[in-house]
Amino acid sequence: MKTTGSRSLILYILGMAFLFGLGVFLYGFATEGGSWAMQPFNKHLTTGGQLANSGKILDRNNVVLAKSENGKRVYNSDETVRRAMLHTVGDSNGYISTGIQYNYRSELSGYNPITGLASPTGKSGGSDIKLTLDSALCKLALQKLGSSSGAVVLYNYKTGEMLCSVSTPNFDPSNPPKDLNTDKTGKYNGVYLDRVLSSTYTPGSIFKVVTSAAAIENIPDLDSRTWECNGSITINGNKITDVASYGTLSFKNALAKSSNVAFAQIAVELGADKMTEMANSMGFNRSFDLDGISTSKSVYKVDGAAANELGWSGVGQYTDLTNPFHMMVMMGAIANDGVPVKPYLISGITAPFGLTVRSGHTWTGDRLLKAATAEKLKEYMRYNVSSYYGDGLFPGLAVCAKTGTAEVGGGKKPNGWMVGFSSNEKTPLAFAVVVENSRSGISSAGQIASALMTAAAKTIK
Amino acid sequence: MTLNNPVIQNIINLVLYIFRIIVPLISILVISKCFTSMKRGRRKEDPVVILEDMVSHEVIPVLYWENSLGRSKSCDIVLHDPTVSRDHAVLMRRESGWIVTDTGSKSGTFVNGTKVKDRMQILPGDSIAMGSTALMLKRTSDIKNSKQPKRKVRHAASPAGLLAATTLIQLLLCVQACFAGGKFSYLPAVPFGAIFAMEWLLYLFSMKGLGHVSFELETIAFLLSGIGILLISGTGVKNTYVQLGALFGGVLLFCIMIWFLSDLDRVMRWRLAIGIFAVLLFAANLVLAREHNGARNWISLGPVSVQPSEFIKIAFIFVGTSTLDRLQTAKNLTGFIGFSAVCMGALFLMRDFGTACVFFVTFLIIAFMRSGSVRTIALICAVAVFGAFLILKFKPYVAQRFEAWRHVWEHVNESGYQQTRVLSYSASGGLFGLGIGNGSLKSVFASTSDLVFGMVCEELGLLLAIVIVLTLAFLMFYARSDVTRSRSTFYSISSCAAGGMLLFQTCLNVFGATDVLPMTGVTLPFISLGGSSMVAVWGLLAFIKASDERTYAARRKS
Repeated sequence: MKTTGSRSLILYILGMAFLFGLGVFLYGFATEGGSWAMQPFNKHLTTGGQLANSGKILDRNNVVLAKSENGKRVYNSDETVRRAMLHTVGDSNGYISTGIQYNYRSELSGYNPITGLASPTGKSGGSDIKLTLDSALCKLALQKLGSSSGAVVLYNYKTGEMLCSVSTPNFDPSNPPKDLNTDKTGKYNGVYLDRVLSSTYTPGSIFKVVTSAAAIENIPDLDSRTWECNGSITINGNKITDVASYGTLSFKNALAKSSNVAFAQIAVELGADKMTEMANSMGFNRSFDLDGISTSKSVYKVDGAAANELGWSGVGQYTDLTNPFHMMVMMGAIANDGVPVKPYLISGITAPFGLTVRSGHTWTGDRLLKAATAEKLKEYMRYNVSSYYGDGLFPGLAVCAKTGTAEVGGGKKPNGWMVGFSSNEKTPLAFAVVVENSRSGISSAGQIASALMTAAAKTIK
Repeated sequence: MTLNNPVIQNIINLVLYIFRIIVPLISILVISKCFTSMKRGRRKEDPVVILEDMVSHEVIPVLYWENSLGRSKSCDIVLHDPTVSRDHAVLMRRESGWIVTDTGSKSGTFVNGTKVKDRMQILPGDSIAMGSTALMLKRTSDIKNSKQPKRKVRHAASPAGLLAATTLIQLLLCVQACFAGGKFSYLPAVPFGAIFAMEWLLYLFSMKGLGHVSFELETIAFLLSGIGILLISGTGVKNTYVQLGALFGGVLLFCIMIWFLSDLDRVMRWRLAIGIFAVLLFAANLVLAREHNGARNWISLGPVSVQPSEFIKIAFIFVGTSTLDRLQTAKNLTGFIGFSAVCMGALFLMRDFGTACVFFVTFLIIAFMRSGSVRTIALICAVAVFGAFLILKFKPYVAQRFEAWRHVWEHVNESGYQQTRVLSYSASGGLFGLGIGNGSLKSVFASTSDLVFGMVCEELGLLLAIVIVLTLAFLMFYARSDVTRSRSTFYSISSCAAGGMLLFQTCLNVFGATDVLPMTGVTLPFISLGGSSMVAVWGLLAFIKASDERTYAARRKS
């Protein structure tokens, strides 16, 4: 029996294997339990298609944007506010993957490895999330956008607080259309996409800000040079045109009048390398981050481009693409001596019993351009508004801006852009507005920017 | 009856949550007490009798119930005598007294001068002659200088107290089940009442009626079975009726097996018949079974369907193990290997790969404990790996089963459906669960059988789930620690095999559902819904119970 006894030690192999396997499971449970639980199919999160038992989402003025009541997710009482906030707050089913309700579902649902999703007290164990956004500004932006598709985004470039972020088209999260997911006609195409964070548009003339920055750094006698702008120029057999014949233009006026003829020549003169270097430095070809949610990359790619294509790229056409959020950050950087303050959306997360588990802070991002370049750009962009767009759009705000009317081809109307910032110390606001299928930048995006900046300046004062 | 008042609802939820915290804590207490009590209640390894060398008057203690005698160092009693065979004889203690068996020695074994043919009874004072050695059997008390060590009075936990604590756990779970899904219902009291009646009747029958001294294993088994049945009552009380019947059948089988195993001669006589019966059962299964969820392992007998492979597990252990005298005479494993090959072949034809794996691991445990030959085991494993390779090569649909393994999140709605649900809902439950009947995993296919570990995690919490699987692991470790104290190698090998089988099946079930291993679809012992499984698990438990020498000891009259 002695030998039987010693041979029985073989069972330890099985025992060790068991403990090892259990260890693997428990390690996963402890480290990944949150993401295991936070699945769209988890019925404890979305009973009957609703975030049944989660924390509130509030705007900066404590306006309730979303809350759970009697096992249902309830949104703001104003439909326009609901629609304006849809892409930031998110829908009940988690289809809007950039929304707070999806990305912060763990915090909202109150998941923790100890109690899981159980709520022993019968109340939501979830945290409340307070946003930096102002729902009234968002509502205004949506009203101004009307039925157009587009994106509006605005932030305080000194503190980093996001104040407005609106994307259209949208739907009412309280009453989602019944055919939202079954429709095959395409009328809801892109409705789940937050255009502020996840879209890229042809920039058109707003890209001239980047070309200008490259020119400032690489053309020493920039201010003394002039360009002959006679309506068009032929580069490499391809005609690049302007809306009108402007005659001889200084650099300042070429930017203000937004002459394609001048800027195409500048881009060709600078060459692909310097253009690419400046674009990359200013945040093209990489993602930005908003509280853990990454944005789509803006694209500037001129490898192997012919001279005419390089010319077109310098005026924001060719294959150029920009992301609205990135444009806003770029404006913030120019306003802030070349270094942007990182935008943030979440002002605070408050756990039950009032414990603040996280609060938003002002963080400085990576430098996008040299301070001197920023200073010079600011001067030119201020001249754009004061001499050309008119300060009447932004009374008392000393706005520096650039508009753009990006041709998208395919028989569609152009995308209207306006990007800019207030250079006034008291109203440190930077914005980016894009309106799809519009007439021109100034008439579409300009009007929205005007209304929004005026309203935002009032709230900040 | 619904509970609409939110205040009352909240109070109830809070109370139920506290219950869910208490349940695993009492369970830990009960189970640890049971195991320590089983360890403490064991006999010390004192010699029962001694052998005295009639020439040198050297005293050799006889430590075990079955002792091999011979020249080989692996023998329990080593005789330094070149005329003695390596494995000469076996000295065994049976109910009738001490017995000597000659295990094919060259020179033969003689008791008081008479040659032992098969086996021979031996009394204190008798002499055993082997080669040129002669030993006399004596009682320990006959030796004056051998001090009788004072037996420490050990306080084991009261068996009735432990069973009462188990009943309390079941009561708390029953209350949970009564409030399942926010509605109140008296119905879960039915399974609770049935379990209550069964456990206390078995207690009275075995402790008072038969005079047994231990009830720890039964307590643990009732605790686990109760958790399983009350958990399942959350999916509908009528689902528990078959399981309750199976529990009754299991307890009955347990009692019959304890009785059957008491006489080793009877067991040895029936072994061949059991083996033949097992093979016939497999044959019947293959002929009668219809395909069900990709496996052909069910046969319908009138209103009930039975899974024969579950019962063959018990037969497998019967056939595989043996008493020491037979192990010493018939050393090769050919017969058992043949039987195992037939069993596993049949399981492959039924496409029940999980059970085939369980059989294979049990086979390895038995084969190693019998032969001790690492080379044989390595060879068998190599053959198995080669076989598995051939199967994967020529039957690609088998490989498809494993494609999602460790990649379940990439196949959330296809091949990883069940595992991702298990993980998600397990995590949702946290340490203390969402309450019986409040889970969502129950609507997933096979939730109460293959995925039941996830249901325990979701509804009763991770803590209780860990307690359950650790208990099953402790069962095996307990079986192992008791090996040399068993009344025969038959008991020790069979209990190690049963313990190993239960733990390996636990591994396949728990790790398959949680994506640590590929999903194979076996049941979690005691917990999973499945009548045949429940009955068979109690049968396997009988092997572990029988290896405890106290099982067949009369109550100590103090």
